[in-house]
Amino acid sequence: MRVATMRNRLWTLYLTLLKDHYGLSAAKYYYFKKRQRTWEPLVIVAGLAPAVVMGMVFVWNFTEKLFMAGLTFGQPHLALLNGALMVSLAGLFFGFFSVITAFFFSSDLDMLVPLPLYSWEVLGAKLAVVLTGQYGINLLILTPLWARYGLLAGAGAGYILSAIVVFFALPLLPLSIASVLAVLLMRAVNLSRHKDKLTLVGGLLLVVVMVGFQVWLQSSLGSGDPEVVMEQLLSRADGLIRAVGRVFPPSVWAAQAMAYSHTGVGWLNLLYLVAASGAALFVLYYLGEKVFLQGLLAGMEGTKGSGRARKVSLSAQSRSPLLAVASMESKLFVRDPGFALNGLIGYVLLPAMALLPMFGQSLENNPFELLALDQLPPFVLSGGLALYFMFMTAMSMIPATTFSREGKYLWQIRSLPLSIEQIIAAKVVGSQVVNIIGCLVGAVPVAILMGWSIWEVLLGSFLGTLLASALAGFLALFDLRKPMLDWVNPVKAVKSNLNAVVGLLIGVILGFALGMLMFATIGLELLWLIPIELLAAALALGLAVRFMVRKWAPGLWKRI
Amino acid sequence: MLKLEGVTKRYKGASVNAVDNLDLEVRPGEIFGFLGPNGAGKTTTIRMVVGLLAADRGRIVVNGHDLASDPIAAKRSIGFVPDNPNLYPKLTGLEYLNLIGDVYGVDGPTRKRRLDHYLGMFELTSAVGDLVQSFSRGMKQKLALTGALLHEPPLFILDEPMVGLDPRSAHLFKSIMREHVHQGNTVFFSTHVLEVAEQLCDRVGIINKGQLIACGTMDELRRASGRAGSNLEKLFLELTDAGGDHEE
Ligand SMILES: Nc1ncnc2c1ncn2[C@@H]1O[C@H](COP(=O)(O)OP(=O)(O)OP(=O)(O)O)[C@@H](O)[C@H]1O
Ligand SMILES: [Mg+2]
Repeated sequence: MRVATMRNRLWTLYLTLLKDHYGLSAAKYYYFKKRQRTWEPLVIVAGLAPAVVMGMVFVWNFTEKLFMAGLTFGQPHLALLNGALMVSLAGLFFGFFSVITAFFFSSDLDMLVPLPLYSWEVLGAKLAVVLTGQYGINLLILTPLWARYGLLAGAGAGYILSAIVVFFALPLLPLSIASVLAVLLMRAVNLSRHKDKLTLVGGLLLVVVMVGFQVWLQSSLGSGDPEVVMEQLLSRADGLIRAVGRVFPPSVWAAQAMAYSHTGVGWLNLLYLVAASGAALFVLYYLGEKVFLQGLLAGMEGTKGSGRARKVSLSAQSRSPLLAVASMESKLFVRDPGFALNGLIGYVLLPAMALLPMFGQSLENNPFELLALDQLPPFVLSGGLALYFMFMTAMSMIPATTFSREGKYLWQIRSLPLSIEQIIAAKVVGSQVVNIIGCLVGAVPVAILMGWSIWEVLLGSFLGTLLASALAGFLALFDLRKPMLDWVNPVKAVKSNLNAVVGLLIGVILGFALGMLMFATIGLELLWLIPIELLAAALALGLAVRFMVRKWAPGLWKRI
Repeated sequence: MLKLEGVTKRYKGASVNAVDNLDLEVRPGEIFGFLGPNGAGKTTTIRMVVGLLAADRGRIVVNGHDLASDPIAAKRSIGFVPDNPNLYPKLTGLEYLNLIGDVYGVDGPTRKRRLDHYLGMFELTSAVGDLVQSFSRGMKQKLALTGALLHEPPLFILDEPMVGLDPRSAHLFKSIMREHVHQGNTVFFSTHVLEVAEQLCDRVGIINKGQLIACGTMDELRRASGRAGSNLEKLFLELTDAGGDHEE
């Protein structure tokens, strides 16, 4: 047994949280100590490395172009500004979610709060973990960018020095803003009595705002072609710099600090950046001591044991056990913001994209525009809608993570006197309740605005639900194969679950295959055949899944 | 050692106080048993004492430190094992213990000595290098106990510590509590196991519906109820019986 000598408590706290967050101890344990699953990291590295290298090469080349273009109107630091802005915005955005996850959706505070630690220490260690991840990603993005720029500009030691300072200072401000926003938001949510609903609605609103922002950005930048983007960007670059400066001045300071590192202007800007970051840290420290802990405790109080505890509800009428499990499945998913936010986004996102062209927002890459949704021939519309239902059930991740989400509560369902076939059936029904409601919530406004006939929508929903049920059964079986049960943070069970990704992939492939079939049928001008094809596909798929469940599920269920 | 004055807590949205104007004193060097029916407010009280819940009203003083004005000093005096220890599943047991050791500033040699002692006693020495997620419930409980004892806290607070321990561990645990008190420390724990409370505790407090309805040594309780030969179980049932809604 190796007992560590005493270390600084903050440092230990940071290391512990880091190990927990990235699963470092677990990785060390499996790969080195037990020598199990050693192929896993190799596969991950082999898969990621080419993508990372390609991304870095892209940044390198893009920087060169931006630099050259910037030179033509005397703004060579355009490339630096662009980089700083990207990194800051990404930090703000991901920081927000990381902070919410780290503080409000994780259960380790129960253990940390009774320890004799100041709340700024807990806050600081948790933020440092988030920051570490950001530094890692920023390193990959900024190294090629700054290296290329430095070479082109013939920069010297001052550049390198200020690059180092900027590197460390840059993410501090966005993260502080994100933390403050997150805390304010959670406080507001906690104060309300309808906490679960508010979280859900707020999360969905956030998604809509984000999509809106992206659309606005894209439409103001034009098409996706990099050359064209570049030209437009440059033609407005001067204005852009000023606009950006107004939105987020620190990125301008960062860019100027590096571009003019050989002059006083550069050092002045560096000073601004460092001072602003320092001020942000101080505000955080102050908030951490004054309001953060209280906010957290208030939050813990609400979630502990109230809504989230897994109780079978005592409804007055008795129901079949199957329906009871099904309703539990859908309720628990929707009630847990950690699951719901990640699963339900798609139900809002896709219809929103479909409707955007109607509001004159032209999006070059929006596939919905090509579809001419308001002029679809009969049966094609139903078919498309059916595929939409099927795809969405995969996208919602409800069936694909159904056993994983049980986590340490799996025993409850295991101890019920139900066979695994019945459990899967109940889970399929539960997922379809959410899927039907979710899809209709999105599809009905589109249908009304596009003037679709109600019969076609009904036919499409019916066929779609059959297809989606079959797929859901398969995905549930797939999740049963290797469920991810050892999570503490519910977001992980959904978001970092390989089963969900594979499920999505299967949904896409299946949708593509059936789409091709439909396409061929349209080519033959046999439109009436489409619903029959889909019905046949649903039945075939359903029978196949039923067979697979009978064959494999009992064995898998026993093995867990 | 631990003093509660008028401590009150009402959960958000609840219509009654979970803990209602509670006065309680745990004296230095004693083992104090905190008893009460389910939902009486034991866990709520304990969570307020360790800083996991903010009290609405009242004062909590731990080892001379007011919890509200000097939380760090108060928490430093406490070793706490919750009813359902929530330990990082992805860390090894030893990593957890080292975190606790560093946070409380237990130096290397002392840490090694105490860990050898407790882990050996609990037969955890070989498992402590494994990930916590592979631990059984009782093993997690013992790991949390070891962590809480690592800094020899003046006030040892436990919520339902007997749940999940096998008979041998339960026995060990009782002797550890005696030993801890013997070294001049104090133990405050909640339990439903009345025999343990009767054997082990110098004094007990019985809480019902957030209010302390009895407090004192076994003898004092017997005397107060006016029944000399009565055992704790009878007393408990009598005291917590909410106005005869079941027949004897
Ligand atoms: N997070 C919470 N939100 C709302 N009410 C709560 C919460 N936790 C506990 N309560 C309520 O507070 C009261 C006291 O609960 P507490 O957990 O303190 O009881 P306890 O004495 O520990 O019971 P047990 O013996 O079952 O552990 C109960 O009425 C319970 O319903
Ligand atoms: Mg309790």
